Amino acid sequence: MATTKPRLSSFSRNLSAVSSSQTPGVKCGPNGTMFVSSGIADLDKILGGGFPLGSLVMVMEDAEAPHHMLLLRNFMSQGLVHGQPLLYASPSKDPRGFLGTLPSPASLKHDKSRDRESEQEKGLRIAWQYKKYMGENQPNFDSHRDNKQDYCNEFDLRKPLERHYFTRQRVNCVGIQDSKNLAALQEHCASFLAQHQRNDGSCALAGRIAIQSLCAPQCEHSNMDWEMLSFIKSLKGMVRSSNAVVVITFPPSLLSLSSTKRWQHMADTLLSVAAIPDEDKELAKLLSGYQDMVGLLNVHKVARLNTQVPFILEATTFSIKLQKRRFLVLECLNQAPVDGSSGSSYGTSGSCSGSSKAGTLDF
Amino acid sequence: MADTICRTLRDGGLEGEHAPALTIKDSKASPFGFDVFNYVLTQLSNYILAGKSQSRGLVVVAYSRSPSFYVDLLKRRGIDIASSHDWIHILDCYTDPLGWKNWLIDKDISQEASSLSSFCQDVRNLDKLYSLIIEQGKGLIGQGKDRFSIAIDSVSEMVRHASISSVAGILSNLRSHDQVSSIFWLLHSDLHEIKFTSVLEYLSSMVASVEPFNQAAFGQRVDLENLSMLEQNFRKGKFHVRFKRRNGRVRVMVISMFLYFCGECADLLYRKSSYIYFTPLLV
Repeated sequence: MATTKPRLSSFSRNLSAVSSSQTPGVKCGPNGTMFVSSGIADLDKILGGGFPLGSLVMVMEDAEAPHHMLLLRNFMSQGLVHGQPLLYASPSKDPRGFLGTLPSPASLKHDKSRDRESEQEKGLRIAWQYKKYMGENQPNFDSHRDNKQDYCNEFDLRKPLERHYFTRQRVNCVGIQDSKNLAALQEHCASFLAQHQRNDGSCALAGRIAIQSLCAPQCEHSNMDWEMLSFIKSLKGMVRSSNAVVVITFPPSLLSLSSTKRWQHMADTLLSVAAIPDEDKELAKLLSGYQDMVGLLNVHKVARLNTQVPFILEATTFSIKLQKRRFLVLECLNQAPVDGSSGSSYGTSGSCSGSSKAGTLDF
Repeated sequence: MADTICRTLRDGGLEGEHAPALTIKDSKASPFGFDVFNYVLTQLSNYILAGKSQSRGLVVVAYSRSPSFYVDLLKRRGIDIASSHDWIHILDCYTDPLGWKNWLIDKDISQEASSLSSFCQDVRNLDKLYSLIIEQGKGLIGQGKDRFSIAIDSVSEMVRHASISSVAGILSNLRSHDQVSSIFWLLHSDLHEIKFTSVLEYLSSMVASVEPFNQAAFGQRVDLENLSMLEQNFRKGKFHVRFKRRNGRVRVMVISMFLYFCGECADLLYRKSSYIYFTPLLV
């Protein structure tokens, strides 16, 4: 069933990064878990493969920036491109209208030319004796690109997703503003997840649930703290035994501190997005690449199913950049060179975690 | 620089985007929110009259002042009231918000004001208020793809009669309506729990807060030493604005603000004629 990946060099890790030939868009991970892509290649790498099936992902919004929408859009588009059923709930009056803003996968031609450019640039930086290894990688890379069913596509945020992706398959959109409580949404989620029950390890088709701004103030349930918490708890229980991933975004500034903590505990994977100030000279001096950044992404928790071993990240804060205003990339924060005489450079910015600190944990 | 806010409201929203929304926030330490509201109102009215704005009409939802106040305000600022029927309308939620009067005394409101306003006699029903606002707005701009702006006198008054979620609902529905170009409202932040202020900041794209010039002076006993500082707080203030820009970044501006009283009217409780002007903050 599983095909072995051709070894590129003697230094490659033997992680089974193999796509299951039967199910598009799902790949096997360690400890019997299966992953689906988040739609952002960098995020998949950071999280060790993607979002595990059966997990609950929560994204904490920043009231001052809509970056959580970028994450949601890529997540939903990836599911639709792979033909995975989708349930989307939002507090807006017309949730279906949001589907029109989903990005389309970047055209293949563009991908190839971009890769060649970036490979050439990399070639300039790599010392001459390693060029022969880079040459070996090239043919494998191209053959991967030809495969339409990539595990993770690159999405062009300026190109809307073609309509046939969401008209021909099961996409359910639910509005949560007008209902008195969360019972209706719970019904929808329960019936959706019942179709994706996990039976003896085989995976028919993965499902995705995306709930935007669960505690949005215009919803009547937004002041029912315990009801919202019970909803999340029951949803988590249902998704655990199914082949689906649930992504919930919420603005923590609108919840009480104790509620926020409880919601954070519920999450298997916890991310947060943050806005950055505009035209901030201090920040521009501190971080390189400030001009291209639109926001920050923090990874607070990474899902670890079927294992007790924690996942240690080299860095927890990443900058969100839009390359050519179309492609979402996440980059590690790079501090601009700091004057060595001022002492420890890691004390200057709380948001950057130096990779050498993780080095002390290596064993 | 405060004109940046007015220009953002003037330019309105793009197709398919929510309308820009401004929250003007003040507190008892620096109670000039209403003056700022009037300033923004007059600026926007000037833009609409000059035809420079995306919106072609303005609906004022008046909770804390009667329509005659607004008519006088616009007259004092040199705006022509006689031809105002086609671009401004005032929804009177001040005279009889709960429908207690069986008849409404016409002499409460001047002739001019009554021609520009209509009554809302049940402010508890926000769905009805929403339809009234949209109806009045459409009445101003007619058929077609034009848009109108909305000014809400005081969201603090609105939430006295309705729940937070219904106020949040009506504001977000107004913002997402196709024909609304921009919307702004006033909030007295110390009248509410922090949650309500956070909700409004979440819903708006610009937050302008009026803060005291001398933060330390407020709350202390009135002594001879700090009397002058306290007095300063009633003539000057700091204007702190946070813009949520389209690219996802936040722009922060702080400028200082002066309140100027004209002539006889030094009554702080009901400033009949006060002007406000902004200068860059000299630190």
